[in-house]
Amino acid sequence: MTRTRLVGLVAAPVVFVLPLVADVPGLGVAGERMLAIFLVALVLWVTEAFPLHATAMLIIGLQVALVSEQAVVALPGGTELPHFSAFYQALAHPIIVLLLGGFFLADGAAKYRLTRNFARLLLGPLGGSPRLLVLGVMAVTALFSMFMSNTATSATMIAVVLAVTATLPPEHRLRVALPVSVPVAANVGGLGTPIGSPPSAIALANLAEAGVRLAFVEWMLLTMPFVLLTLVLGWVVIIALFPPGPARVEVPIEVSFDRSGKAWFFYAVFVITVLLWLSEPVHGVESTIVGFLPVPVLLAAGVFTLDDVAGLRWNVLWLVAGGLALSTGVAATGLDAWLLGLVGWHTLPALLLVLLLGVVALGFSTVISNSATANLLVPLGLSLAASPAVAAEPLAVAVIIAAGCSMAMILPVSTPPNAIAYATGALRIKDLATVGGITALVGLTAMTVLGLQVWSTLGVLP
Amino acid sequence: MRELVILCVEDEPEVRTVLVRDLEPFARAARIEEMTDAAEAREVIATLATAGDQVGLVLCDHRLPGLRGVDFLVELQADPRTRAAKKVLVTGQAGLDDTIRALNEARIDHYIAKPWAVRDLQRIVRALLTDFVIEHADDLLPYVRVLDGERILEALSDRLDD
Repeated sequence: MTRTRLVGLVAAPVVFVLPLVADVPGLGVAGERMLAIFLVALVLWVTEAFPLHATAMLIIGLQVALVSEQAVVALPGGTELPHFSAFYQALAHPIIVLLLGGFFLADGAAKYRLTRNFARLLLGPLGGSPRLLVLGVMAVTALFSMFMSNTATSATMIAVVLAVTATLPPEHRLRVALPVSVPVAANVGGLGTPIGSPPSAIALANLAEAGVRLAFVEWMLLTMPFVLLTLVLGWVVIIALFPPGPARVEVPIEVSFDRSGKAWFFYAVFVITVLLWLSEPVHGVESTIVGFLPVPVLLAAGVFTLDDVAGLRWNVLWLVAGGLALSTGVAATGLDAWLLGLVGWHTLPALLLVLLLGVVALGFSTVISNSATANLLVPLGLSLAASPAVAAEPLAVAVIIAAGCSMAMILPVSTPPNAIAYATGALRIKDLATVGGITALVGLTAMTVLGLQVWSTLGVLP
Repeated sequence: MRELVILCVEDEPEVRTVLVRDLEPFARAARIEEMTDAAEAREVIATLATAGDQVGLVLCDHRLPGLRGVDFLVELQADPRTRAAKKVLVTGQAGLDDTIRALNEARIDHYIAKPWAVRDLQRIVRALLTDFVIEHADDLLPYVRVLDGERILEALSDRLDD
């Protein structure tokens, strides 16, 4: 057992008991209990003393037992609390269903090797220009990670990239430029759609709870300008640091699309679902309703087998659900207002505050899970935006936190995409830190400074 | 971290030297242990088990002094410490009966005839070690470079989450 986990196992019970036995000024009994649960979540998610999804389930259980209307340890009379089912409902929150539909599409794409073949098809013609090849790899990686997990995308693309670099002489700069470009694009790309990565979904769900409902394309309008900007920026940094020279390189173009009936059926469902998501403003059917479409259809058609169902990343869904349940409890017990009252936020200009939230998210997610960071920070950020002392736009706050969580690309341990790229042995820690650090910081700053202007020009601000 | 080990059981020193030299590319993924017969191999396996290391692959000659190769592989298949290891019989002289026993009772994963071609040996070892680490290793990242990167990346994406 690592020392960090041990610290977590010792600290979690301590931080749990403290608010329960000590009288916390300004908090009622329910608030004190919620503080105990919040601190446990914080400690366990940071130290990973339990698997992330185990902590998420623990949070739901503790809230049902301690801060629901049916709490097993009774609360003083007159305390208004949610029915216990409100916490269970997080497990079937519309955003969880949206993610589930996204997982069906992503796992299907992996099963039929759609992404691998598509990547080779798109990159084949770019061998003539190594610089464009790097940009192409980044564009394809970002595109895939908008619909698949950043991790699965990185694994697929690193495999494609390794096939290219294997043919190059040992000192060729593409040997570094290509592997380093993949995690940058995969992390940033996850921000591009609500299902691209859990932080995006978490931001969207919390916005919906706060009364700001966004269509699939509205989220894309918010994030895509900055995803594109950050990608180009990342490309410029990579090309500047590792100029690959003009010589043509070989891109293996062996492409073999699965042409079985089931594969065609899957391709059709994939395209229809994505088109329906993108055309929500035309037909008005919410993305969370469209998102359920692939589930019964692919199951009934036998395209998705029982093994495929068992192989779905349920743990990710549960991690997100735990976070949503946590934000329900934090809001219902008034813990959010109390936590925010600890700091004199109003002394900060709104713009600086938004940037600060983004940087805090970036810092946290550099060392802990992106999803756990979003689970902890998005609800607090939105409560902050809603408090009268601060004049911050909720949309800006949610998007910037999601962006901070998604741009953790400084250390190999920050996210699995980084770890996968680092495992190729082609990059030094310094390479990733330089490219990832510059790209993330400039990207976040650009979003903070230009965000409101760009969004009001695009008409996505309410 | 638990270390991955390849066992080479071969009594002829020249052949053993060539075998270990041909396995050199895998030295970054696994420690290569040489031994001359079953008795010595048993000692090594006991030491490895105490140290907590994992036997991932056994390459075993058939004509060994003392216990024959096939019988030793059958023994390894019955031993919980080595049952998971991939087993390869490397020989020029196993009769039909021995070969059948090797398949049915030792559950060998491959049969390599002597003399072997380096490329074939390395291809087989790469595939078998990749199978082993995907099935049994706690951390796949160190193997991306040395073994079958594409299959390991695929397995990684199933294991890791954003």
